[in-house]
Amino acid sequence: MDLQKINVKFFAAGSGAVRLTDFIDIFNSWIQSSEGEYYDVADYSHMQAGPGIVLVTHEANISVDNTRNRLGLLYNRKQPLRGSNAEKLQFVFRAALEFCRRIEREPALKGKVRFQGQDALFLVNDRLLAPNTDETFRAMKPELEDIARKLYGAGGFPLDHDGDPKQRFSVLIKAPQAFDVDTLLKNLGGYGPQLAGVSEA
Amino acid sequence: MNKAESWKEALVHLIPPDLGREIDIFETQIALRKQGKIDERVFAETRLRRGVYGQRYDNGQRHDGVRVQKLKLPSGGLTKGPETVWDAPGMMRIKIPFGGLSPQQMEVLADLSEEYADGVSHVTTRQDIQYHFVHIDDTPSLMRRLAAVGITSREACGNVVRNVTACPLAGVCRDEVFDVTPYAKASSRFLLGHPDTQDFGRKFKIAFSGCRDEACGLTSMHDMGAIARKEVVNGRERRGFEFYVGGGLGAVPYQAKLFDEFLPEEELLPMAQAISRVFARLGEKRNRARARIKFLVANLGIGEFRRLVLEERRKLAPDTRWTDYLSQAHERTEAPRKAGVSLNGGKQPGRFDEWYATNVYRQRQPAYVVATVALPLGDITADQLRALADIARRFVKDTIRTTVEQNIALRWVSEADLPALYSALCEIGLGEPNAGTIVDVTACPGTDTCKLGIASSRGLARELRTRLGEKSLELDAAVKDLRIKVSGCFNSCGQHHVADIGFYGISRNINGYTVPHFQVMLGGKWKDNAGAYGLPVSAVPSRRIPEVVMRVTDRYVRERLKGESFQDFIGRIGKKEVKAMLNDLTRIPSHDADASYYSDWGDPREFTLTDMGVGECAGEVVSQAQFTLAASERELFEAQIHFDSGDLKKAVTTAYEAMVHAAQGLVKVQSQDVPNDEEIILSEFKQRYCDTQLFYDKYAGGKFAEYLFKARDDLRSAGEVEKELALQRLQEAQLFIDATHSCYNKLSSMMPANRPAGNGGASAGEG
Repeated sequence: MDLQKINVKFFAAGSGAVRLTDFIDIFNSWIQSSEGEYYDVADYSHMQAGPGIVLVTHEANISVDNTRNRLGLLYNRKQPLRGSNAEKLQFVFRAALEFCRRIEREPALKGKVRFQGQDALFLVNDRLLAPNTDETFRAMKPELEDIARKLYGAGGFPLDHDGDPKQRFSVLIKAPQAFDVDTLLKNLGGYGPQLAGVSEA
Repeated sequence: MNKAESWKEALVHLIPPDLGREIDIFETQIALRKQGKIDERVFAETRLRRGVYGQRYDNGQRHDGVRVQKLKLPSGGLTKGPETVWDAPGMMRIKIPFGGLSPQQMEVLADLSEEYADGVSHVTTRQDIQYHFVHIDDTPSLMRRLAAVGITSREACGNVVRNVTACPLAGVCRDEVFDVTPYAKASSRFLLGHPDTQDFGRKFKIAFSGCRDEACGLTSMHDMGAIARKEVVNGRERRGFEFYVGGGLGAVPYQAKLFDEFLPEEELLPMAQAISRVFARLGEKRNRARARIKFLVANLGIGEFRRLVLEERRKLAPDTRWTDYLSQAHERTEAPRKAGVSLNGGKQPGRFDEWYATNVYRQRQPAYVVATVALPLGDITADQLRALADIARRFVKDTIRTTVEQNIALRWVSEADLPALYSALCEIGLGEPNAGTIVDVTACPGTDTCKLGIASSRGLARELRTRLGEKSLELDAAVKDLRIKVSGCFNSCGQHHVADIGFYGISRNINGYTVPHFQVMLGGKWKDNAGAYGLPVSAVPSRRIPEVVMRVTDRYVRERLKGESFQDFIGRIGKKEVKAMLNDLTRIPSHDADASYYSDWGDPREFTLTDMGVGECAGEVVSQAQFTLAASERELFEAQIHFDSGDLKKAVTTAYEAMVHAAQGLVKVQSQDVPNDEEIILSEFKQRYCDTQLFYDKYAGGKFAEYLFKARDDLRSAGEVEKELALQRLQEAQLFIDATHSCYNKLSSMMPANRPAGNGGASAGEG
């Protein structure tokens, strides 16, 4: 399988310290300090268990997402990536973690948002490419275990596959203990030589 | 792994061949456009007719509050239409005829919103579903997956017959004459892609209603509206319709005109076809601002229009589709999931009683009800939509409708199931009460995603919804029943004209800053199929609008007479008094004292209009001249109201002022700085347009300009105004304003950089 449309979500450690709407200002400030790579901010703060606040770009949507009432940072890769599946996974996990770090360091939030790093949700946003079946899970499992080992080391980490056929293929990677974002980024390493700067397919 | 390489391959057996072929063609057109082998304007209309629509920053620029940023859109100069950059994520509109949905369709819609949009399905004010931030390369797959479950986006936008809407209670309503659903369905099918509906100058909207008195289908504000009616003919009861044409909202709202008191059911489709042919043949094509059928009907007069249509009807070759569906139309089309059982007493869960009071409608069929699922701002997440499909299967099967109030109605709920249904809805965050109340604010997308949006309609709606929701239990019943509707601009996609309290976005310059405002519209009538349109009262800064709502509703509660409606109350105290009541709310602190008034709801950026792009909605390039022209039309509308109320002198004065403003709009094309001085405007207009014969009709010569100067001379003579003369002056004013639009269009076409609104070929918009 040529893995594409990869989504990764890291969950916030506690969610009461800030309001979703705070991220409207933050994402707009990111746009002001960017050079046209961020297109727009979509506000879904009025929805329960919804997509929250979405920063729209060409390559990906980055959101402070509250799906199923679990607040977190969702990196939703839209454009195709080149390279092996392992390289693509590394790229997307890293991109998600870098946005987590950016939020943690966001001055306006004064350190109120931390990501617990212990759980990482992996999704493929393409039901044709990756139907939510055991077969897909079996095919994906070795690569997911590899990326999980990179993130969390050699310790045991269950891969929890929710097999609801109506949902997108998703796997929750659960580490035995909490990891902070900086450690996960360090563990993960760089984007990889094949992907750095040339992520577009 | 799935063996199919593409959705085309995977769904080939589920897609009707014709539709599949059309989507293939569209996919090919995308490829050809990428190769530069299709003209961008042709491609724009092509994609619009497939429901693929531009969004706010699709010209590749966005004002970030400090500067205009050029967005990094990788395909460089490639466009999918004039000023619409290829990679700019856009909107996808999906037609849901009469709002009818099945659980399977809801599941597919949920999946598509996740995979191709931002995870949200948005119910529009015309029962469609919209996605936002969709990439055009994904649209063929999206269309195939819709087609596989019987949904199309074809002709959801563009100058065609849009989604055919109908009362969401059709078939279960206690007051309806008969169920209009089969007729709405048949009209939708018959007119979709029909050769006679492919050459319109503008969009064409159709609505069906089962009764005259309720809001139902809002037929009065539609290009074509049909209200169910029965007559006894030769001792036999026959079905038919009270049949209307020429209504519409937009900048200048028109009430539809009665075409036929009783159009027999078998004549519905042929008459729609004949109307389409007359509209295609005689409707305005060049000047988009005057191209809706309402202008044609107004110009010809309903009598002449009817004569032309009937003449056209006689020429039509018989078509079996006109009547094929009728044999089934008289049978019940829906079956309940469960037997109807009455709700017994006892303790109910949570806020059930509150929800029951506002969200449940008792059907005419005993022990069945319609439960309305209130969607905040019309939005529903993918998870919620999928779960709602399961809930529908559990309680009602496939008797589901989207509503023009941006909600979803579950019909044929057995009353006894209501507590369980309510609990199930609460579990997915959709158990909110207040459907169809003042809390349930309707809004178009506005500046969130629309290119023509001036102010944040969704931002305001969100704020009002929150504030009113918090005090919903304390609200007086008379206030709770009111409706608030918000549009981001004057084009009325939020249907502000038919709300008790309506708002549309405008801007005003205060101390050198552009400040977001909303025009306050009061007195519109939702009932009687949108029986009356509200009138503008005052322009109020956006941030102060919640105070407007509180002040107006508080006064209504305090001073209303027994049984007095809001419309009657506003009429009684008078527009002048209402304006005075709101006067202090038009002021805001200086920018230094409080800069928040200079940004819009839900948007921290300092307000600017530089984001506005080339629209694909009811306008396109909206210049200052066009704003002035639009303002002149609203004034003329007010003149008509004065005429209706018998104040003839005021009617002709206001009509004249409207003409002066229209002239000013044209002068602004050449000289932005023309002052608001009548004499100077007239002098400039004469010098720049009359003496140069720029304002000169090919057939009528300088006649329209003469209307202006004649109106001025008449007013100066200050004699008594006869009714017939007043009517004539109003008609002349209308013709003069029409001519200014034509002249503006002509001028724009002479200046490529300032292309007129009509030449893009693109059109859409809910309004």
